[in-house]
Amino acid sequence: MTSERFLALIAAWGADARRWPEDERAAAQAFAAAHPEAVRGALVEANAVDDLLHLSRVAHPSMALRDRVIASAAGAGLKARREGRRWLDRLTLAFGAGWAVAACAGVAAGVMMTTHLTADAQAEAILYQASLMGVDDTEVLG
Amino acid sequence: MALIADPDEDLVRRVGQGDPAAIQAMVARKLPRMLALAQRMLGDAAEAEDVAQDAMLRAWKQAPRWTPGQAKFDTWLHRVGLNLCYDRLRRRREAPTASPPDRPDEGPSPDRGLMAADVGSRVNAALAHLPERQREAVVLCHYQELTNIEAAALMEVSVDALESLLSRGRRALRLTLADIRPGTEGG
Repeated sequence: MTSERFLALIAAWGADARRWPEDERAAAQAFAAAHPEAVRGALVEANAVDDLLHLSRVAHPSMALRDRVIASAAGAGLKARREGRRWLDRLTLAFGAGWAVAACAGVAAGVMMTTHLTADAQAEAILYQASLMGVDDTEVLG
Repeated sequence: MALIADPDEDLVRRVGQGDPAAIQAMVARKLPRMLALAQRMLGDAAEAEDVAQDAMLRAWKQAPRWTPGQAKFDTWLHRVGLNLCYDRLRRRREAPTASPPDRPDEGPSPDRGLMAADVGSRVNAALAHLPERQREAVVLCHYQELTNIEAAALMEVSVDALESLLSRGRRALRLTLADIRPGTEGG
């Protein structure tokens, strides 16, 4: 890792090493550790841009949009064959519980979860809740 | 060709089988990502909802015939979402009578403090005014958290070219938003 490459890397990927390309991350971190004075200014600058980018906010999906998307699954042929809407009603409850469980998980962990991780936690919670409620392929799809 | 490990593989399989819980979980996992992608690419909330909904509809149709190991489902879905965004951006360019979006406010007014919402709006406006390819690179890498390999492949550019787009985009944002000092805005 050269100084030139390190500066190019953080100009593109920012100051957070977790975002650096995986194949260069270790070398870049070693370079930064070995040359703290040389990289400090560039890291401060890159961190400032990272902070600006983090200020961008986008809307979360509305319940109406979620409902339309779920309904579109049935329209695309991914519908339950036996129980009509009952599975959907039960899973709506599971979905709400999934949100709550995921939120609690974030608080309990005491960390700032990224949107991506939060979404994954919600998905896992929904699947878990559904398993507890016995909504599975056997019952729904027969 | 080496098989690609995909964290969505099991979920996609279950969606393809019509598993209702998996459909709900897929919505929780992917709809926010598709909506965020479209919002930042298009800068229009209503259009972004249409794109996200359309992308998810295509996911439902694809799931039953998805072949694991050849690509990540998330990357495929981003390709779908990006193409839908491209279509809309192209239509905007080709519509001579369509009025361009209002030029967003690019500076704080004297009588307005830098509230967090204002700052966020200014960052979004600055993103919206980046050249399209720079915006795409920043959105895919910073916000959608794709790897350099994934983002470069989606954009059909080399990793070096992707880095160049990222650097230019970040530099332009820094210049446009030079008066903002993160951490000083109100909540």
